[in-house]
Amino acid sequence: MKEGFRQSMNWVHTYSGLLVGWVLFMVFAAGTACYYRDEITLWMKPELHQAGLSLPPEVEVVSNTVAALQQRAPTAQRWFITLPTEREPGVRASWSAPPLAKGAAEPALEPGVTRRGRLYSAMLDPATGQPMAATRETRGGEFFYRLHFDLHYMPAIWARWIIGFCAMFMLVAIITGIVTHRRIFADFFTFRPKKGQRSWLDAHNATAVLALPYHLMITYTGLVTLMLMYMPFGPQVTYKGDQQAFTAEVFPATGPRDPKPSGIATPLTPMAPLIAQAQQRWGEDSIARINVHNPGDAVATITLSRKAQDMSSAQPALMFNGTTGKLLNEVGEDRGAVITTRSVLYGLHLGRFADPLLRLLFFVSGLAGCVMVATGLLLWAVKERNKYAKVVANGGRVGWASRLVDGLNVGAIAGLMIALPAFFWANRLLPVGMAGRGQAEIDLFFGVWALAAIAGLAWPTRRMWIIQLGVAAFMFGAIPLLNAATTATHLGVSIPAGLWAVAGFDLTCLALGAALLLCAGWLGRRKPSAKAVRAAPASLNREPAL
Amino acid sequence: MVVTAWCTAFSGFAALGLAIDRHHEDSYGRGKSPGARRPWLRLAGTLALLLSLAACLAVQGPTQGWVLWLGVLTAGALVVVGVLSYAPRRAAPLAAIAGVLAAITALLALI
Amino acid sequence: MNTETTPDSVPAGDAEAEAYSLHGWLPRGNAALMYRLGVASRALAAIVGGYVLSALVATVSAIYFPGTRGEAAIFGMLVSFVIYTMAVMWVFAVRSAWRAWLGLLLPSLPLALAVLVHLYVRSAP
Repeated sequence: MKEGFRQSMNWVHTYSGLLVGWVLFMVFAAGTACYYRDEITLWMKPELHQAGLSLPPEVEVVSNTVAALQQRAPTAQRWFITLPTEREPGVRASWSAPPLAKGAAEPALEPGVTRRGRLYSAMLDPATGQPMAATRETRGGEFFYRLHFDLHYMPAIWARWIIGFCAMFMLVAIITGIVTHRRIFADFFTFRPKKGQRSWLDAHNATAVLALPYHLMITYTGLVTLMLMYMPFGPQVTYKGDQQAFTAEVFPATGPRDPKPSGIATPLTPMAPLIAQAQQRWGEDSIARINVHNPGDAVATITLSRKAQDMSSAQPALMFNGTTGKLLNEVGEDRGAVITTRSVLYGLHLGRFADPLLRLLFFVSGLAGCVMVATGLLLWAVKERNKYAKVVANGGRVGWASRLVDGLNVGAIAGLMIALPAFFWANRLLPVGMAGRGQAEIDLFFGVWALAAIAGLAWPTRRMWIIQLGVAAFMFGAIPLLNAATTATHLGVSIPAGLWAVAGFDLTCLALGAALLLCAGWLGRRKPSAKAVRAAPASLNREPAL
Repeated sequence: MVVTAWCTAFSGFAALGLAIDRHHEDSYGRGKSPGARRPWLRLAGTLALLLSLAACLAVQGPTQGWVLWLGVLTAGALVVVGVLSYAPRRAAPLAAIAGVLAAITALLALI
Repeated sequence: MNTETTPDSVPAGDAEAEAYSLHGWLPRGNAALMYRLGVASRALAAIVGGYVLSALVATVSAIYFPGTRGEAAIFGMLVSFVIYTMAVMWVFAVRSAWRAWLGLLLPSLPLALAVLVHLYVRSAP
């Protein structure tokens, strides 16, 4: 490029951001919601809101759970037990189902148990081992988790490649954005409201620069979480294609090498001594998960993993022989600098280690990211529109690219803001006993989004923005009322009871609704520019979008 | 101590902001440049940010403390931008109040 | 690629053509076409060539980085995304699309050679 370095980087920044911006907005929005996915899931299961759970000691919880699993799934090949935490007060028990015989129907689900693929799951009461009150079928917060890297309605592999492509574009956009931002320190605090294009630029700069460490971290670590898929060539060459050897070296065995059952029935060893060994090494209440492979078989193994005590996603684990209780393998903390680095980066992306304050700061930074992407898209659209100002004033039409971008902006940004609360409304309004309810909620999410997007593409005008933002504001803001109408744990109950997960959800939705209402109000108040008003024929193109 | 971390971050960024001509003018009136006070504002601001780091490290330890600090900085800077844009004349007094609050909470935490 | 400027020749009075020529979507002479080809060429170099280069760096790191095989492989992957980003930026910063391709090819050749050496010379099949 004949112009300078900064200008070419400006071009790269613009287009690497623009071309994937619409997908990235959804990834940021869904990903930010994930910081509170447990709370979202709880809100979406009103049956659990008032389940006051008492928490007996760890040993008792485990024995209750194992008894429950032995009753329900004595021959399952794998049991997965996640012990209760502050954010998830029940025991999450999952077990694999045997493959179905040809032509056989799926067995009926007992209340409180759900199935996804060949994996059954239930939330068990830690004191009794029984499934907690039967909850409505919903994917809950897990939907947003899967959405932001597995998308939907397509094979996961395709989705991850698309997302990886977008993430790489995002990383380039961030770095080129830093390079191209000439007065990054002088303009650090600059925000000039009500100045049209400059305000959009200021908003874009502010949300980008002030949360820059977060944006860099989340994008790079996002790539790291799937890097084995994106860059498999190194291990392919050095391990000559032996994927298992690579996995064993980098992710030391926390399960048996060969998980096939021997067919010889042998009772499972009692758990208490195993738990005692774990507690001796790690302290009280430090077991996070227990995985049992081939329970009731001669080759059973039991693996205990420790709760996260630092940012790394890799935590120590103990693997025992499932019939004798002998310690087979201990995976320690020190895995070498490089592998620890990778685990920390992975852990940073997930953010599961964060305490409530840090989690809130991550959430705020994530919201800043959403605003950054949105303002970037809108900034481009506004700049394009301004180029057509003279043409439009003479009665001409806006170019197709500008109109398309305007339409996509409405659909991707405002449309998503309508679809998100629609998901929650569906959760409360769809009949509880309905079959395929979980998928129906998701279909409604996408259906509403599609409608909003089509409307946006057809009429990419300021009025459409105001309408859609207004609808979004109503749908978000009315959620506390929806909650009050459909459960007994409305704000008047949840706040005094300290049920912060539910109360926080209601309050956050209220705040988002208020923010969206403000945006709609700003757009409503700004008068179209005088030039456009002077143009003679009335035409949709005449009305500036922003 | 968390309050200390956030208050020092806010004051620090406010000081750094006021050291910039544009924001100083917004706060104190047209033509009022920080002048000789600029290096002192910058020094005080930087020190405050470092104190914020110290507070974060004290709360969360040597690794998570840095992560917490970056988050606190983001939150503090966002609020300062809001103040400087919508209520610039309150920036300096608010920074002073935050500084006092930081000192008090730090003392309380250390006792 | 400076989005602030408009092309110099705009026919007067023809609003449609004016609107179109604001972005030169219709090739107005060779210059616009060459420009667009250059951008396409660079985009290809950046996306595909950049990926190949960073994959080669990852592989070479996996082979030659000191430490265990697993550590070397992970290191290579972690580094690859940084290389990819820098390669993309470099491709758009150099003076011509030809230089961009050349600049990607030059380091790729010895890297590819290093991988081939490992595959066929150092390790017995």
